[in-house]
Amino acid sequence: MKQWFINNSLQRPKLTFSIMVFLTLIIGSGVRNIIVDDNIMNLLPKDIPSRVVWEEINEEFGETEFMFVAFGNSNESVYNSKTLETAWELTEQFEKITLDGKPLVEEVISIATLNRIDSEDGWMEVNDLMSEKQLSESEIAEIKSYLEENTGVSSRILGRNGNFMNVVIRPTDNLHYPQLTQEVSKITQPYEQDFEFYFGGESYIVGKIPEIIVNEVGTLMSVGLILMIVVLLANLRNWTAVAMVLSVIMMSALAMMGFMGWVVHFSGSSRFYFSMLNTSMPIVLLTIANSDGVHVISRFFREARKHKNVETAIRKTMNQLMLPISLTSLTTVAAFLTLLSSPIRPMVGYGVTIGFGITWAWLLSTILLPSLISLKKWNLNSTALSKPSIIENIIHRFSKDIIQRPKKVLFGGIAIVLFSLLGFQFIEVEVNVINFFKPGNVLRESTIFLDKEMSGSMSLVMKLEGDMKDPKNLNDMVKIQDFLELMPTVNTTISLANVIKEMHKSVMDDDPTFETIPDEREKVNNLFTMYSMSGDDDDFSALVDYEYETGLITAMMQSISTKDVVAHADTINKFIKNNTESEMTVHVSGMLMFLNDFVDLVVESSLTSIFFSILIIGAIAWIFFKSWRYGLLSIIPLSSAVILNFGLMGWFGVHLSHFTALLSSIIIGVGVDFSIHYIAEFIHYSKNGVTIDKISQKSVDDVGYPILLDAFSNMGFGALIFSTLIPLVHMGGLMVFAMISTSLGTLTILASSLELFKHKLVKH
Amino acid sequence: MKLCKYLIFFSSFVFAINGEQLAKQIDAKPKPKDMKANLTMVLTNKKGKSRTSSIRSISQDGGEKQMIYFLSPADDKGVALLKIEHENKDDEIRLWLPAFKKVRRISSKKKSDAFMGSDLSYEDLTNRDLSENTYHITGLDTIQNSEYYILETSPKEETNSEYSKHVTWIEKQSLVPLKETSFDKSGNILKEKTFIYKHIKEYDTPTEIFVTNIQKNHTTKLTFENIELDSGVKSSLFQEKNLKRLPK
Repeated sequence: MKQWFINNSLQRPKLTFSIMVFLTLIIGSGVRNIIVDDNIMNLLPKDIPSRVVWEEINEEFGETEFMFVAFGNSNESVYNSKTLETAWELTEQFEKITLDGKPLVEEVISIATLNRIDSEDGWMEVNDLMSEKQLSESEIAEIKSYLEENTGVSSRILGRNGNFMNVVIRPTDNLHYPQLTQEVSKITQPYEQDFEFYFGGESYIVGKIPEIIVNEVGTLMSVGLILMIVVLLANLRNWTAVAMVLSVIMMSALAMMGFMGWVVHFSGSSRFYFSMLNTSMPIVLLTIANSDGVHVISRFFREARKHKNVETAIRKTMNQLMLPISLTSLTTVAAFLTLLSSPIRPMVGYGVTIGFGITWAWLLSTILLPSLISLKKWNLNSTALSKPSIIENIIHRFSKDIIQRPKKVLFGGIAIVLFSLLGFQFIEVEVNVINFFKPGNVLRESTIFLDKEMSGSMSLVMKLEGDMKDPKNLNDMVKIQDFLELMPTVNTTISLANVIKEMHKSVMDDDPTFETIPDEREKVNNLFTMYSMSGDDDDFSALVDYEYETGLITAMMQSISTKDVVAHADTINKFIKNNTESEMTVHVSGMLMFLNDFVDLVVESSLTSIFFSILIIGAIAWIFFKSWRYGLLSIIPLSSAVILNFGLMGWFGVHLSHFTALLSSIIIGVGVDFSIHYIAEFIHYSKNGVTIDKISQKSVDDVGYPILLDAFSNMGFGALIFSTLIPLVHMGGLMVFAMISTSLGTLTILASSLELFKHKLVKH
Repeated sequence: MKLCKYLIFFSSFVFAINGEQLAKQIDAKPKPKDMKANLTMVLTNKKGKSRTSSIRSISQDGGEKQMIYFLSPADDKGVALLKIEHENKDDEIRLWLPAFKKVRRISSKKKSDAFMGSDLSYEDLTNRDLSENTYHITGLDTIQNSEYYILETSPKEETNSEYSKHVTWIEKQSLVPLKETSFDKSGNILKEKTFIYKHIKEYDTPTEIFVTNIQKNHTTKLTFENIELDSGVKSSLFQEKNLKRLPK
C-alpha cells in the first residue's frame, strides 16, 4: 500500500497531481452550498431545563432580553425638543424593523411609548406620556414634572443625571439578534453626530459578536498566515518548498469547506451550518495541514542533503513518514470525532468536517506533495538543501543537552506539571459577558455606562405562579422587589405590583398614602376594570398573563457573571422561603441562568472529550506501535499539556468558560502529532541498526526540527491575541500555548523518558 | 382628485343611489325606543386564551343612553357603566366601582380606548353621526345569493376618530350590515367586524357581533340573548344613582 502511494507519486507525478487537484476542485465546489448561521442562540441546546423555563417565559410574556439604546449629551438635560423628537423618531423607526416582512421588534419602551396614569376628577386616566412628536415648552415641562414625581417610570427611561435617555427594544424572538443589531446601528447612525450613543443588553452583545468575529478573524488570520509563511521561508529558505506546503494547506482547507457545503446540500442538516464556532475551523486545519507538509518537506531536505538524489530522498522520506503522518492524521481525526457527543449541535458538524479536512490533508501530503517534489528540478547544492537551518542547529545543541541529562530534564518537566496540577483548585467555571471584551472596547464601555448611568444592561426575571389579583401575593411581590433593589447590582425592578400601586394612588385622588396594594381582591379587580376602560389591556402583557395566574418581576441589573447570578438566585429563593406568606411558586430565570447551566454542560462535555481523545490516541498508538509502553508514552506530552493548560488557567485566574473549555479540546488536538512523530522515529532507528546510545540523539535531530518549525510557524496564529474579543485572544493564546507545551513536552519529557527507559523499550 | 369626483358622480347613476342617501336610509330605519338584552362577551388573545363576561344591557334611543351591568365573572360582578351621548358636548360615561364604593367619570376624549379590554372602542359603541362622515358607494357584491352595497364611510377631517375609513357590506333589501373592515389613520386594516341580525318585531336587531383586531390578533365575540324591545324603559333609569343596583 505504502509503496503503491510512493510509486504512483514518483512514476506518474503529473497524473497524480492532476487527479488530486481535480478531486479537490470537485469537493471544493461544494463551498457555494455553505449556509452561514451567525446567530449564537442557535448554538445553544434547547432542552436544558433552565432554557425550557426561560423559553416558557418568553412565550408568555415576550422576550426578556432587551436591547438598550441610550443617547444624550453630558451636561445637557434631555428635556428639550431635539432630544424628545429624536426619541420619538428612533422609536418609530425601531418599531418598523422587519426581516423579510416579519417584524423583528415586539415593542419599544421609550418616552414616546410609555403611558402616564393621572387622576382627573377622581377618574384614573391613562394617556400617552408624550402625545406627539413636536411639543411645546409647557408640554415638555409637564412631562418633566410627571417623571420627577414618578421615579419608578423615569428610572426605566432616563439616566441618573437626566442627561441620557433610554430607548429599550424588546425583540420578537431570540433568533435574529444579529440582523436586529445591524438595523439598529443603521438607524442610529445619522443621529450620532448630535448625540453620544451607548448600546447594550444581552441581545445586543449576542447580536454584535458575530460581526466582530468575522471582521477580526479575517484580518488576524491573514496576519497569522503571513507570519507562517515568513517562518517557513526563513527556515526552508526556498520559495517553491514554502509554496508546496501552502498548496497542501489551501487545498485541504478548500476541500474541507466544500465537504461542509455538500453535506448541507445532500442532508440539509443544520449541524453542518457554518456558525460562529466554525470560524476557528480554518485556523485549526491550517495548523494540522501545515504540520504534515512541514514534516515531509523538511525531511526531504535532510534526506536530499544526505543522499544527493531527489528520488532516493523522496522514497526515504515517504518510507519513514508514511506511518507517522497516517497515524497522526488518524489520531487527530479520532480526537475531533469525540465532539460527536457535544451538547452543542454545530460541534458535531465541526468534528466531522474537520475530520474530513485532516483526511484530505493526509492524502495531499502523502500523494500530492511527493509528486510535486518530484516535478521540481532541485538544485542540490543550494543553501536550502545543503546547509542546515537555524532551527536545525539549535535543535542539535538542544538534543545533546537532553540526552546528557535525561533525569534532570524529566524531573524538571514533572515538577512543572505537578506545580500546574496544584492550580486546578483555583479553576473557576464562569462567564461574564462584559469580560468578552478588552478594556476600552466600545461595547464594554457602553455596558459599563448603561450599568452606572441607566437602568442597567442585563435582566433577571422571576416567574411567580399564583393569583395575581390576591393582595397577599401582590404584597409579597413588593417585598421581593424591595429585597432585590437592596442588592448593589440591581438598578431597578418592574412588576404588576408597581402598576397596581400607581393605579391605586390615582383612583384615590393622587393621595401618596394610597400608593400601596389595596387590601381587598375586589379592589384590585376594580382597578383593572377601570384601567381597561381607559387604557389597553396589552399594557400589562409583559407583567402578567391573560388569566392573571402568572406574574413576572423583571430586575434590571448591571452586568454580572453566571456564578453571581446563581448566587443571587439562591439568595432570592432563601428570602422568599423565609419572608413571604403566600403560596406562590417562584422561578428565577433569564438568559444568564440558562447560560450558567449551558457553560457547566459544555465544560463537562469538553473535559470528557479531552479525556477520551487522550485514551483513543493512546490506544491507537498502542495498536500501531505494537506496545502498550509506546501507547502510554505517546500520550505523555499531550496529558502534560492538558494539565499545564488548565493548571495555569487556575494559577493565572483565567476563568474556565464554555469557550476556553471547547477551545482547549480543539486546540489540544492540534498538538497530538509531535509525540507520534518522535516515537515513530525512535522505533525506526531502534530497528535500523543505530546503537542504543545514539537513538535518542538521532531522533531529536531528525524530528526536533520539523516539530519546532511546525510549532513556530503555527504560532503566527497567536496574532489572534490582538483581537478585541477576549475569546479570540484566548484562542490565540491557547494556540501558542498548545504549540509550545506539546512540542517542548515531546522534546523534553517524552525524549528524556524514552532515553531513560530505552533498555526496556528496545529489544536487541 | 378630479377623476375621483367624476367617479363619484357617475357612480350615483350606476347604483341608482349615492352613499349619502344610503346612509340616510339606514339611519332612517325604524329603531326600538328601548332595548334590554343579556350579552356574552368572549375575548380571545393571540395565544388563543379567552376571557368570558356576562353583561346586562339596557339602552334607549338607539343606544344614546345605555346602562351596562356586569354579571360575571365573579370578579366583575356589580361593576356598572352609564353612557349618555350628547350632541354638542363630550359624551358622559360613568363607572360604578363597588369595591371602592365610588362612581368614577370616564374621559370620553379618547374614543379609541378599548371598551373593557375588548376590540370595540368607545367610538365603535357610539352611533355614527351622519354629519361627521362622508359616504360613498364603491361597488356591489353578491354573497350567497344576496346583493350588497359596498359603502365607504370616511370621517371628516374635523371629526375625532381613530379610523381613516370603514368599508361596510350593506344588504340591499334590508339595509342590514353583514361585515365591515375598518382602517387606521395610516390606511392599514385595523379591525374586521361581522354581524348577525335577526328581525324582531319590526326591527332588525343584532344578535352577534364578531370583531377581530388584525393588528393585535385579538378577537371579541358579543352574543345577544333574551332581547326585549320597546318594553317601556323609563328615562329616569339612566342616572348615576341607578348604577349601584342591578334592576330586575
